[in-house]
Amino acid sequence: MTLKECYAALGGNYEDVLGRLRAERLVQKFLLKFLDDKSLALLEESLEKGDYETAFRASHTLKGVCQNLGFSELAASSEALTEAMRGGKAPDMALAEAVKADYQKVIGAVSAYQAELG
Amino acid sequence: MKSKIMRFLIASLALLVAVSVAVFGLLAYSMSSRSAQTIDSVGAFYMSTTSDRLSKHFETTVVLRLDQVEAIIEACPPREGSQTALRSALVASAKARGFEYLALYSETGKFNMLDGSELAVTDPEPFLRSLNEGGKKVAVGSDAAGNSVVLFAVDAQYQMAAGEVSTALVAALPVQYVQQTLSLDEGDSEIYSHIIRQDGSFVIRSGGAYRENYFDRIRGTFDELNGKGADAYAQELEESIVNGEDYSAVIKINGERRHLYCTQLAYSEWHLVTIMLYGTLDKEVGNLTAYQMWAAFGSCGVILTLLLVIFFIYMRMSSQQMEGLKLARKEALRASQAKSEFLSNMSHDIRTPMNAIVGMTAIATANIDNPDQVQNCLKKITLSSRHLLGLINDVLDMAKIESGKMTLNVDQVSLREVMDSIVCIVQPQVRAKHQSFNVNIHDITAENVLCDSVRLNQVLLNLLSNAIKFTPDHGEIRLSLYEEPSPKGDGYVRVHLQVKDNGIGMSDEFQAKIFDSFAREDSARVHHTEGTGLGMAITRYIVVEAMKGSIEVESHQGKGTEFNVTLDLEKTEVQETEMILPNWNMLVVDDDQQLCESTAAALKSIGICAEWTLSGESAVKMVLARKDRPDEYQIILLDWRLPGMSGIQTAREIREQMGDSIPILLISAYDWSEIEEEAKAAGVNGFISKPLFKSTLFYGLRDYVHTETAEVAEPEEHMPDFAGVRVLLAEDNDLNWEIAEALLTDLGMELDWAENGEICAEKFKASPEGYYHAVLMDLRMPVKNGYEATAAIRSSGRADANLPIIAMTADAFSEDIQRCLACGMNAHVAKPIDVQEIARLLEKFLGRE
Repeated sequence: MTLKECYAALGGNYEDVLGRLRAERLVQKFLLKFLDDKSLALLEESLEKGDYETAFRASHTLKGVCQNLGFSELAASSEALTEAMRGGKAPDMALAEAVKADYQKVIGAVSAYQAELG
Repeated sequence: MKSKIMRFLIASLALLVAVSVAVFGLLAYSMSSRSAQTIDSVGAFYMSTTSDRLSKHFETTVVLRLDQVEAIIEACPPREGSQTALRSALVASAKARGFEYLALYSETGKFNMLDGSELAVTDPEPFLRSLNEGGKKVAVGSDAAGNSVVLFAVDAQYQMAAGEVSTALVAALPVQYVQQTLSLDEGDSEIYSHIIRQDGSFVIRSGGAYRENYFDRIRGTFDELNGKGADAYAQELEESIVNGEDYSAVIKINGERRHLYCTQLAYSEWHLVTIMLYGTLDKEVGNLTAYQMWAAFGSCGVILTLLLVIFFIYMRMSSQQMEGLKLARKEALRASQAKSEFLSNMSHDIRTPMNAIVGMTAIATANIDNPDQVQNCLKKITLSSRHLLGLINDVLDMAKIESGKMTLNVDQVSLREVMDSIVCIVQPQVRAKHQSFNVNIHDITAENVLCDSVRLNQVLLNLLSNAIKFTPDHGEIRLSLYEEPSPKGDGYVRVHLQVKDNGIGMSDEFQAKIFDSFAREDSARVHHTEGTGLGMAITRYIVVEAMKGSIEVESHQGKGTEFNVTLDLEKTEVQETEMILPNWNMLVVDDDQQLCESTAAALKSIGICAEWTLSGESAVKMVLARKDRPDEYQIILLDWRLPGMSGIQTAREIREQMGDSIPILLISAYDWSEIEEEAKAAGVNGFISKPLFKSTLFYGLRDYVHTETAEVAEPEEHMPDFAGVRVLLAEDNDLNWEIAEALLTDLGMELDWAENGEICAEKFKASPEGYYHAVLMDLRMPVKNGYEATAAIRSSGRADANLPIIAMTADAFSEDIQRCLACGMNAHVAKPIDVQEIARLLEKFLGRE
C-alpha cells in the first residue's frame, strides 16, 4: 500500500498534504504519529462527562490536526462537531458518532499502512 | 374600535354629569329642607318659650288681680251689720286697686253691682260652677254699654240685697287692660296672640280677626301647607284643646309662613293662641337656601369642569398613546414581515450559486470519463461553492447588517479573480435566457486592491442577477470595470463598476426607494419574477456604509437600467511576478473599440506589440496583408461574437488562408465548453475568458510561447532564509507542533514549544530580552487560551513585549480575526499551517526582505 493509497482509503487529500509538507518522508512520519494522538480520547472522555468546553477544544484540536494532515473527511466531521459545540452547547450525538466512525476509518487505514511497512 | 371607545367615554361622561347634578341637587335640596326643619324647630322652641312667657305673664297678671281681690276681701271681710258701710269700704278698696267694676255674685249667677254699670258673663255656666265650688276664676263679660270686660272672681260670702249670700266677689277691668298688659297686639310686632275659648270663640282677638270663632278663622284664612288643609289644622287644634295639650304647628296665611302655638291659660277656660310671622326669618332662610343651592351647583360645576378638563386631557393623551401604539404595531408588523421576507430572500440568493453547483455536478457526472470536462466543472463548482459559503456567512452576518455592526473582512483581492468568478457564476443564468453578456474592462492600473472580496462579489452578483432577472430573453447585459486616480491619494485607486442592461427598467417612483429594504416594483410586469428585494438594500449597505463608496442608478422604463458603483480602494503592494512575454505581433479583434484599446494597452505592458480591428472581415484582410512578411501576426485574439462575420467564421477563414501555424484564441465572456467543439473544428486553438486583465492575458498566452517558455518559468516559490530567528510556538497538540516544527525548521528558524498559553507566557517572561523574535499562537488551548497569553505577553512590561504575535487557528470567522487584532496580535493565519503564508507574515513583521 502506498502513501497515496492509504490517503485514498482514509478519505484524505494526499496532494494537498504533500503540497504543504513537501516531502513524502514527512507525510509518512506524521501520518504514523497520528496513531498516538490523544485528541479523540480526550474528546470522548469529556463528552461522557458532559464537559462541553473541553470537548469543544478537543474537537477543535482534532480538526486542526486533520487539516494539517489532510484528513479531509475526519476534518469535516470534526468541524461539524466543533461548530455544534461552539459556546458550550451540548452537541447532537450523531455528530460525535460520525467523528468516531471517520476516526476509525483513518486509524484502520493508517494501521494497515503501518503493518505493511513492518 | 375608536368610535366604540368614544361612545363609551361620552356615555360615561354624560352619566357622570347626570349623577353629579343629581347628587348635588339632592344635597342642596336636603340641606334646604333640613334648614327649614331646623328653622321650624327653632321656631317651635321659641314659640313655646314665648307662649309660656305670655301665659306666665297672664297668670301673674291674673294672680295679681285675684290677689288684689282677695286683699279687698281681707281688708273688708264679710260681717254682720250695716252692709252699706261694708260695701262702701269694698268699693273704695277696689277703686284704690284700679278696678272699674265691683259686684257680688250670687250662687244663682246674679250680679249685685257695687260699682260700675251692670255686668254680664259671656259664658256664665262654667264660671258659676267653678265659683260655687269655691276658688278663684277669671272670665270675660260685658258691661251695660256692651264693652268687653275681664272679670276676676274670688270666693267670698257677703250679704247680698235680697238676703242672699254671695258666692264670690267679682271685680272687673276692661278687656283693653288685659290686652295691653299682655301686649297681645303690638302693631309692629312679629308676634300677635288671641285668647280663645274651648269652642274656638274669641275671648280677646287681635290682628285683623273679625270672625267670632277662631276655628272659622282657621278655615277661612289658612292656606294648604305640606298637603295639610285648613280643616285638618282646625281639627288638630280642637283636639289638643280638648285634651288640654299644647299645640304647635307651622301654617301659611296669605302665602306667608307663620308659626302657631296654643296653650291653656291658668284660672280660666281660655287658651292662648300665639302666631309668629316667619317673614324676615323666612327671607333669611330663603337666602341661606339659595346660597346653599348656588354653592352646591357651583361646586358641582367646578368639579364637572375639572372632570371635563381631565377627561379631555386624558382623551388627548390616550389618543396620542393609541397613535404611538399604532405606529409601534406597524413597526413590529414590518419587522416581522421583514424577517420572513429575509428568509425567502436568502433562500433565493442561495439558490443562484446552488443551481450552478447542481448543474455542474450533473454535467461532471455525465462526463465522468472526460477529465478536462470534469476539471472544468469542478472549477466552477468550487467558485460557486465559495460564493455560497460567502452567502451563508452573510446569513450569520445579517443580524449585524441590520444592527449596523457589519465588519468587512478586508484582505488583498485580485479584481481579476473577482471578475472571473462573477462571470463564471452568472454565465449559466445568462445562457438560460439567451442574453448577450459583455464584460468590458479598461484603464486598470491596479489589479490588486484591499477589499472584502465576498462583499464585492455579493454586490456584483446582486446587480447582475437583477439585470438578468429584469431583462427579457435575447436582451443585453454589460458589466464594465475601469479605474481612475482616487481623490484619496496615491495609495488609493477609484474603481468604477457598471452594470447596464436594456431590460424593462424602473419607474421614477421605484428608483427613489429601490435601496429600501424589501422593495420590489409592484406591477404586473414584474409579478412573475422571484426575489423579495433585500438584495439592493444589502448592496447599498455594503457599498455606502461599509465600503464608504457610492452607488447610483439611472433607469428608464422599457429602455433599461444602469447601476454605477464607485469605490475608493487601497492599492496593495504585491510582489507581482514579472509578467513579460516575447515581443509578438498580435492582432486583437473585437467589435468594442474601448475593449480593443484597453487590451492592446495591456498587451503592450507585457511586451507584446498588439494591433486591433473591429470586425472579422477586416481582420482577415489585415492577416492576409502581412502574410509571409517579417511582421506577420504571430497570434490572434478573436472575439466570439462579432457583427457580420462571427469569430468562428473568421477563424475558419484565416485557417483556410494561412494554414495552422498561427495560434488563434477566442475571447468571450461565455462558457467555453458550449462552443469548444465548434471552435476547435474551425481551427481555434484555445480560449481566454473575459474580462481581459493583464494577468488574464499573461497566463492565457503564456502557454503559446512554445520554445520560449523556458525564459518565463514558473515563478520560484519565495522561500526566504530565517536562519537565527527564534520563534516561540504555542500549540497544545503534539502532532500539530511536530508538523509546524518540521516545516518551519526547514526555513532555518529555531522553534521553542509551549504546550499551552500559560507555559507560553512563562517561557516568554523567563527568556532574556530580545531572545524570541516572534510568537506563533494557537487560539484554543487549555489553561490559558491564545488571547489571554497574548494579553499576558503584551502587558509584561518588557522591552520586547511588542514582538510580533501571529495567531493560528482553524476558525476563519471575521470575528475571530477582529478579536485577534483587538487583543494585540499582529496577524492571523488559518490552519492548516501554510508555510508560505507564515513566512510572508514573519518577513513582513521582522522587516526582512
